[in-house]
Amino acid sequence: MRISIGCDHIVTEIKNHVADYLTKKGHKVIDNGTYEKERTHYPIFGRKTAEKVVLGEADLGIVICGTGVGISISANKVKGIRAALVGDIETARYAKQNLNANVLAMGGRILGIGMIEDAIDVFLETIYEATPENKALISKIDSIPMSEEAINANHMFDEFIEKWDKGLYQD
Amino acid sequence: MKIAIASDQAGFELKEKLKNYLENHPYEIIDVTKSEDYDFVEAASKTAKAINEAQADRGIVVDEYGVGSSITANKYKGIICANVFDEHSARMTVRHNNTSIIAIGSGIVGEKLAKRICDRFLQATYDGGRHQIRVDMLNKMC
Repeated sequence: MRISIGCDHIVTEIKNHVADYLTKKGHKVIDNGTYEKERTHYPIFGRKTAEKVVLGEADLGIVICGTGVGISISANKVKGIRAALVGDIETARYAKQNLNANVLAMGGRILGIGMIEDAIDVFLETIYEATPENKALISKIDSIPMSEEAINANHMFDEFIEKWDKGLYQD
Repeated sequence: MKIAIASDQAGFELKEKLKNYLENHPYEIIDVTKSEDYDFVEAASKTAKAINEAQADRGIVVDEYGVGSSITANKYKGIICANVFDEHSARMTVRHNNTSIIAIGSGIVGEKLAKRICDRFLQATYDGGRHQIRVDMLNKMC
């Protein structure tokens, strides 16, 4: 499979481990970064990872940040993405089988490598069951009006990065 | 603080328990799904609407896995919803993501843990500062 992956600076090493893990299993990995440990912003990488899935360049996505929450939300805010944040294997199975989830999200500070690899295996292996109930729920989610602005939008965050570079986001 | 609470059929029992628990705290609880007749898309959408229309400050949605509700709520502009299954994330997601809604999976999270997750979610406050750039980015999306 073609797997689009992304992370923030908190979990770069875990994302690199996941990339190696998937490559060894014969998958094609599209690594959207971040590639360093320098402080950056999870929506950049959640959006990029999700965009590859929506555009059909990847079959599925995997996103990781500290808790998994921020990067999963940024993936979910791309139209057509159903990103499942999971802390257990059963939820990874359910999300794919029932909701046809196309992005798996996990917290690198929440789960160990064993759980992360296991959840990925189950997520990739599980096949969506297109029952009338499942289809109805998915089409109901799809019917929520959303802008498509986040697709093909590599510069949509530039205004905030300019403010950041000027030191306008201080703790 | 006003808390909107909702569930689908699978989450109804745990939602009722959490509602009773939270009503013993200084929160005003607004149950936006009083019967078992809603699916998680409806439950999450009603909660998102309550937040976006400023009828509630925070929201809690319960379905069997939490995943469906969290996917749904995040489709609404301005909503930041976290699927939470541990106490650490319950607090950190408010501090770092300025989360307004959490989703809880009744089939995954037991009653005691669900109560602790609600406590930590409702007691936490947003850190702001460097985290605001990420929240600004999320709020520009969808």
